[in-house]
Amino acid sequence: MPIKSYILHFEEGKQEILLKELHKLENCEVIPSQNHDVVVLVTDTATEEIDHNLYNQLLEIQGLKHLSLVSGFDAK
Amino acid sequence: MRRFFLIGTFVLLALASIFIWSKSYYAEKEEAYVYLPVETGKFLIPSEMGVFERAGFANDYATMDKNFKGGRSLETYYENRAFHGAPPSIPHPVVDELNMGDKNCLKCHQNGGFVPKFKAYTPVVPHPEMVNCRQCHVTQNTTGVFKEFNSSDFPKPSIGNAAFMGSPPIIPHQIQMHENCLACHAGPSAPKEIRITHPERSNCRQCHVVNNKEMTDIGVFTR
Amino acid sequence: MIQKNIDRRSFIKKMAAAAAMTAAAAMFPGIIFATEQLENLPKGGNLDWKKGPCRFCGVGCGIQVGVENGKAVAVKGDPNSEVNKGLLCVKGYHQTMCIQAKDRLTHALVKKNGSYVKTPINEALDIVAKKMKQTIEKHGKDSVAMYTSGQSTIPEGYVASKLMKGAIGTNNLDCNARLCMASAVTGFLTTFGADEPMGCYEDIDHADYFITWGNNMAEMHPVLFSRMLEQKNKRGAKIIDFATRTTRSSMASNKSILFEPQTDLAVANAICYEIINNGWVNKSFVEKYCNFSKGKTKIGYGVEDKFKFKDESQKIDFEAYKIFLKDYSPEKVAKYSKVSVKDIKYLAAIYGDPNKKVVSYWCMGMNQHTRGTWINNLVYNIHLLTGKISMPGNGPFSLTGQPSACGTAREVGTFTHKLPKGVVTEEKDRKLAAKIWKVPYENIPAKPTYHATEMFRAVDRGEIKFIWIQATNPLVSLPKTGRYRPAMEKKSCFVVVSDVFPTPTSDVADVILPACWHIEKGGLYGNSERRTQHWNKMVEGPGDTMPDAWMFIEVAKRMGYGKLFPYSKENHVEEIYNEYRQFHEGAKHGMAPIEVLKKESGVIWPYVKGKSTQWRFNAKYDPACNNGKDFHFYGKPDGKAVIWQRPFEPAAESPDQEYPFWLNTGRVIEHWHTGSMTRRIPVLHKAMPHSYIELHPEDAKKYGIRNGEKVKVISRRGSCTLPASINERGLPTKGQVFVPFFDENMLINDVTLDAFCPISKEPDYKKCAVKIEKV
Repeated sequence: MPIKSYILHFEEGKQEILLKELHKLENCEVIPSQNHDVVVLVTDTATEEIDHNLYNQLLEIQGLKHLSLVSGFDAK
Repeated sequence: MRRFFLIGTFVLLALASIFIWSKSYYAEKEEAYVYLPVETGKFLIPSEMGVFERAGFANDYATMDKNFKGGRSLETYYENRAFHGAPPSIPHPVVDELNMGDKNCLKCHQNGGFVPKFKAYTPVVPHPEMVNCRQCHVTQNTTGVFKEFNSSDFPKPSIGNAAFMGSPPIIPHQIQMHENCLACHAGPSAPKEIRITHPERSNCRQCHVVNNKEMTDIGVFTR
Repeated sequence: MIQKNIDRRSFIKKMAAAAAMTAAAAMFPGIIFATEQLENLPKGGNLDWKKGPCRFCGVGCGIQVGVENGKAVAVKGDPNSEVNKGLLCVKGYHQTMCIQAKDRLTHALVKKNGSYVKTPINEALDIVAKKMKQTIEKHGKDSVAMYTSGQSTIPEGYVASKLMKGAIGTNNLDCNARLCMASAVTGFLTTFGADEPMGCYEDIDHADYFITWGNNMAEMHPVLFSRMLEQKNKRGAKIIDFATRTTRSSMASNKSILFEPQTDLAVANAICYEIINNGWVNKSFVEKYCNFSKGKTKIGYGVEDKFKFKDESQKIDFEAYKIFLKDYSPEKVAKYSKVSVKDIKYLAAIYGDPNKKVVSYWCMGMNQHTRGTWINNLVYNIHLLTGKISMPGNGPFSLTGQPSACGTAREVGTFTHKLPKGVVTEEKDRKLAAKIWKVPYENIPAKPTYHATEMFRAVDRGEIKFIWIQATNPLVSLPKTGRYRPAMEKKSCFVVVSDVFPTPTSDVADVILPACWHIEKGGLYGNSERRTQHWNKMVEGPGDTMPDAWMFIEVAKRMGYGKLFPYSKENHVEEIYNEYRQFHEGAKHGMAPIEVLKKESGVIWPYVKGKSTQWRFNAKYDPACNNGKDFHFYGKPDGKAVIWQRPFEPAAESPDQEYPFWLNTGRVIEHWHTGSMTRRIPVLHKAMPHSYIELHPEDAKKYGIRNGEKVKVISRRGSCTLPASINERGLPTKGQVFVPFFDENMLINDVTLDAFCPISKEPDYKKCAVKIEKV
């Protein structure tokens, strides 16, 4: 049951669209920044597989410039 | 010789007294310097002041871990008061039955804190300036009733009463003696349903207004 | 066990989030994460968030309006806005609810035989254009007038000015900002030669002391006050409230100092006296960057019609200024200001301490003042003597009350003496305007005509035969409305009112034009810190409603000036802005291009080479400084600011035996100005259903008045009956009463006096003599 946190950088002005997309995803907690083009994302999934799928979904989001993993836990 | 000395002393004394007297005479004649009565000290507007009273703790509340154990909920909040705004009864033994107008209660209830004995956080009193606590707050010494009671429903202020999607909820209760918002709405003793997410914004009534101000209601504004 | 597991998981999640936020904070120092409001909003929904400025006060908060199926259903603070960083006040959060009011003006109404007839908008505009044209033909250009607003958008103000001054050729254009900002303008112009504050709101993050001069910011500029409170709690910054009345701001401040109305002039001089006497003057700053001047004294109050005044400045030296200040020792001033010597010295010591950063804030307390220009000058003196100006955390800051008092009224210049750049009396300014407007230079008259108060006096005298009032409600907001209401009802003047809601002003109109509310049209506003804010149309306006700018253009076309207004209906905001921008080209006032404004949540001018200038006149931040020194007050020809010698003079009317009370008027947090919008928002109406009269408890006791009982307040001009309020929202000093002016059912402005500052022509709503009677 992995829990991971990421920092998402996105293209200027795309915050609205990106947040909308992110809210559609399951197992995600979105914490947007108020003054920078950055979003912190915490994922909490039941299995490695779901986690992997989620990761792929994230990569497909439009307007995403850069995605970096900050920490990961495996809470069994 | 001695005589001259004595006369000299008296002359000196006389001169000195004349000097002192004339000085004080002229000082008296000088135009007295009178300030207009300056009203000093801070004027108090109780209904406006309370909101800022616990602002000093706001930053601590903001950084507090939100998922702690031993907090209250609205259900337990209403357990020991008859209706909203009624003084809650005291659910624990008291230190000193004869205590009057002292700060015995405030020791714990002024700032709150965890009490291991009851495994709970002490509620913070919104009006610490009123120290005759037991004038209104009584202990519960029995669970029984004298005669059966028709427990009609007293209306409780509703929660989640924003007028508009995402807009700040209005204050659904009277604020007399409850002007100090943070006492009940922030910190570990605040019931979890009404604990605010942003205690650091100390000017609460910038966004949250009361909806039941006691004024002559003129209905919906029409021209 | 399950419970424990969930706790553990949520704990790990928190850790993970915290780790990511810490990492982000290392990359972007000062990053803030939004958590508050977003939590309350439904995730994902079909809401479309559109950015814009708030409709109400001059703080200029960024808002985002949630639009669903073509309807505005939610409002939140714009987290990208540097002004409010995601926070609003109660008015801001509920603002879009007012457009749902059932008495909304949706169609043009034309008065026929004493009653209003619903008329198609095109016909109504025909009538307006025809009437305007006929009046000009019959009575001359100066018989028509326009009275606009600090709530007009930049394009609206610009077309109004172009139509009146460029096309028709009359200076009969003034606006309600005359009632609110004029003294600030003349203050800036006389001291610095350039309008609008040098600093910006970011000063709040740097200052050690906030001194508010007659300003209840907790209620009137709540978002800025919250930013100050945050600094107070976090950094220990201190708020000093210097006022004539105890308010919510006093309750939140570190120290509250009360003074007798009008004596702020003397106290400001006493502070300067102390600064000089204690050797706290920043000598090199004063030598390098300041001149000393004095103007006329005993300058009158303008209570009589056709009052004329022209100030004459005369250079003096520091020694003469010092001699003048001898009359203002704290001991002497304490005698009549009711501020203790200790408190005056305390204030002076704050300003004088070279290691403390001080910002002074003020709004109507200093501007609505029969010596408004003077008191503005005097506060600048304090900052100039100590060199605490134009630096992060140091400076005087004049706040505004309307969303575009700066952007439209002051920058576009919808005043009788103003042009988009400069004034009508200057030939080169008229030439520039004529060039950009493409009108003959002779069209623009060189002589200013009526300022707001005089304009309505001229209506009363019958000189003005046609007046068009837009986005403002003068019959509630003018002083001494008792005179101007009958004046407007006279047959001699044809009155056109364009507004969103019916008001006491539209009640006297011959034609009422239905206007779009701000989110129903696109536009630009400019806030107190020189920030220009653009928004696009978000929802459709109901019925025949039309953007005000387009009404002006339609009328201009009908009057035969179509060539001068070649804008398209869909895109006129952008086209007009691009034309207007030409006026301000250059490093001193360059405005951001529309493309940048569309993207950002407001941009501060001067905008030079893609960068905003946050602190003007300071060479470190301002590229317009070119004298090679640290500071350059380039508004004045010699690059030096002026320290003005301005004495104390009494108010136009002071309490006496017959009328023993001062009357002070103002606002409350729930309602904005005349309440035509906020009173139609149920939440705000329930919180503050009607006006009241605040009394000191001892005065109330003397008259046997209890809370809620009706009190009649009477002046030499009129009376008004209101319920008493004792120890509630505010606490006036003994011998003073306070009444909010938002309530059109209890018109306190029938009671006020139309005395004004002879230099700025701004009326004083804060001081007149009244008596009270229990009803």
